[in-house]
Amino acid sequence: MEETRVVQGTWDISTFKFRIEGVGLRRMLDGMKEGKLVGTRCHKCGTVYLPGPFYCRKCHIEINEPTEVSDHGEIMTYTIGYADVRGNPLDEPRIAPVVKLDGCDSWIMGVLQGVKPEDVHVGMRVKVQWAEERTGSLQDMAYYVPE
Amino acid sequence: MDINVAIVGYRMQSAPDLVTSRERLVFELTRGLFDDLGIERTDVDTTILDSNDFMDGRTISNVFIDPPAGVYMRDESKVEMDAANAVIYACMRILTGQYDTAMVVGIALTGSQASPYLYIEYTLNPTYERQVKLLNEVNAAAFQARSYIDRFGYSERLLDDIAALSLANAALNPNQARRISGITADKVAASAMYYEPLRELHCYPPTDGGCALLLASERKAKELTDKPVWIKGMGMSTETYYLGERKLYQSSSAAEAAQRAYELAGVKKPAQEIDVAEISALFAHQEPLLAEAMGLMGEGKAEQAYAAGETAIGGKLPINPSGGALGAHPVSVTGLMRVAEAARQLRGEAGDNQVKKAELAVVHGQDGVCAQQNAVLVLGI
Ligand SMILES: [Zn+2]
Repeated sequence: MEETRVVQGTWDISTFKFRIEGVGLRRMLDGMKEGKLVGTRCHKCGTVYLPGPFYCRKCHIEINEPTEVSDHGEIMTYTIGYADVRGNPLDEPRIAPVVKLDGCDSWIMGVLQGVKPEDVHVGMRVKVQWAEERTGSLQDMAYYVPE
Repeated sequence: MDINVAIVGYRMQSAPDLVTSRERLVFELTRGLFDDLGIERTDVDTTILDSNDFMDGRTISNVFIDPPAGVYMRDESKVEMDAANAVIYACMRILTGQYDTAMVVGIALTGSQASPYLYIEYTLNPTYERQVKLLNEVNAAAFQARSYIDRFGYSERLLDDIAALSLANAALNPNQARRISGITADKVAASAMYYEPLRELHCYPPTDGGCALLLASERKAKELTDKPVWIKGMGMSTETYYLGERKLYQSSSAAEAAQRAYELAGVKKPAQEIDVAEISALFAHQEPLLAEAMGLMGEGKAEQAYAAGETAIGGKLPINPSGGALGAHPVSVTGLMRVAEAARQLRGEAGDNQVKKAELAVVHGQDGVCAQQNAVLVLGI
């Protein structure tokens, strides 16, 4: 090309609202305050979701049946991160497993502590370490530890 | 067309604020459509979702509205233009012979959760118009409106008359978002001036809305409904992006899209043969401008036609008996709503908006600044 130029542009992405269906999330957060994990079960096919959606993906019907799931489960997959989501290096490697909690069909990701990176494996049993002071926020489920 | 394709059912809703989530809107439209037809999601062979990522606030926004549309482990594709194009795409999928049913679902929460005007600002060329800071959707439309009324020596009053007629129709229609009782041309003329000659009530209202439509092959259509509405023709055309390279007082791309659709449908004299038109006129002047391009109104005849009530519900050729896009414009869903409104007319389900003889309809959708892209369908019973 004979001549190229760079023009500075902006892309303002701060102007959206997302109205969401609140029941499943509130049910989960209310439960977490009590140290429980409460999802939603489809009354037709029995699928248990956490957090619970207002409809079943498979049956295409509205669902609203609270179901408690265990805070123990099994690592289905994991990664060991050396950078945060924007690529900034972390001081310590971070183990992030995705866990199938007993009695739940969806898998929940989180951070695993109390184990060396080389000892993590798929199939490993873990449990939720609850925050000491729970406020009904996603941070209540502080991290996973080996069972 | 070798395979006949019909519209067999539809659901739509709009409001300034539907007070809902994107997912629930999609779920309720599709669940309602399935219940109307007595089918389940697995009876839908393919689904075309229509949403605009910028308006939605998420890229590849269809991934979030697939599951509530019943698209779990099913065939799906996406259109990110006005959803009249999505209807054409869905029809083409059935024409391949691979699918017997195709659903089109479009949503936009451009009334309550994102600004429609911002969207057009971001379609502008970032290295030129955005730098010049003189153009947004409404003042682009104002350039077009001025060019159009000046070309034929119309008075600005024409815009008030067009808007008053559309808004009066919209007030009768439960599917519409902007329903003003007792609307008159004087009330339109008293609304806030945006960019001359366009006032608030000459322009579409920011709207939440959605629409779901099921198409079926002839074989399947006869199983699903006794009131099929056949897609007889369809066409698309796009012109240059730059306003400065277009004759703004006319729409050559709408004319070309309509020509293609008429050819397929065997329509030779649209003004005589078409019974009803649903046109995506986002601003009052676009209705006669596009009607001229689509062969429904003679050039320079707009003042006369509106004065004589030719386009009214009881007129010679009703245009936008639904109230059109001045009643609701969920960005990118509007053309799909026009298709559904035309089907509503042809099935005789239009209630207070029903035109007397409705056997052949023409439908229009548009995209881009000043209708850069146009899609036209001919529907019949
Ligand atoms: Zn289910």
